[in-house]
Amino acid sequence: MKRRLIYIMLMLFLAGCTAEVYETPLYSRYSARQDIAVAQVSGFQLNDSVKVDAVILVADDTAAWLGLKEEFDIRASAGVTSWMGDIDEPRQRVRRSDLPAWRVMALNEERTIAFYRIGDSVQYQALLGYQLDNMIKDK
Amino acid sequence: MEQNRITFDELWEQQERAGLQQRMMQDYPEWMRRRRIRRASLATVTVLAVAMVSLFNYQFSIQRPYDAVLCNRTTFPDSHWADVAATILTKEII
Repeated sequence: MKRRLIYIMLMLFLAGCTAEVYETPLYSRYSARQDIAVAQVSGFQLNDSVKVDAVILVADDTAAWLGLKEEFDIRASAGVTSWMGDIDEPRQRVRRSDLPAWRVMALNEERTIAFYRIGDSVQYQALLGYQLDNMIKDK
Repeated sequence: MEQNRITFDELWEQQERAGLQQRMMQDYPEWMRRRRIRRASLATVTVLAVAMVSLFNYQFSIQRPYDAVLCNRTTFPDSHWADVAATILTKEII
């Protein structure tokens, strides 16, 4: 009896360790696309206490990239384009205070769009802090 | 002739109910020794398994800057995508 109990506890512990990761709707929307590499980084660490979820789309070729640009209304043809996007429809630009929202960054040269899920002002500040810290390190 | 065979553990439980464990310990010292070894082995294996899984998870949680990665391709390791997420953040400023 005790042995069975130990086995059950062990199995529950292992099951907890291998729990499935929550899939964001944004990731689900693009995961079936053959011409785009889609990745979701859950719990991306910005500092000791703040984490955000990130979704990254990388177009395989120019045609796929042009499709993505149209889909997200990206007009620039070079450099980085960034905006705060609606949490359900990231194409729509929203104000910084309309949280939760996506912080979206599109890189033309890399044919990449990254979405960082900002749930509250603490996460937003942490994201800015992360960018600032790395800017200082790069200098 | 049919024999009613009883395991040592069943016998032990019977004796426990009857309050005769002490006598059983004296009568079957070899059984008791094996029982102790069996139980100690099982406990050791369980503790080691739990400790290893905990250590494994802890090591990964402190080393990597993310909890988990999902991807529709298997081309790159998980750490690649965490690096991309980090790099893009710095690109905006540069």
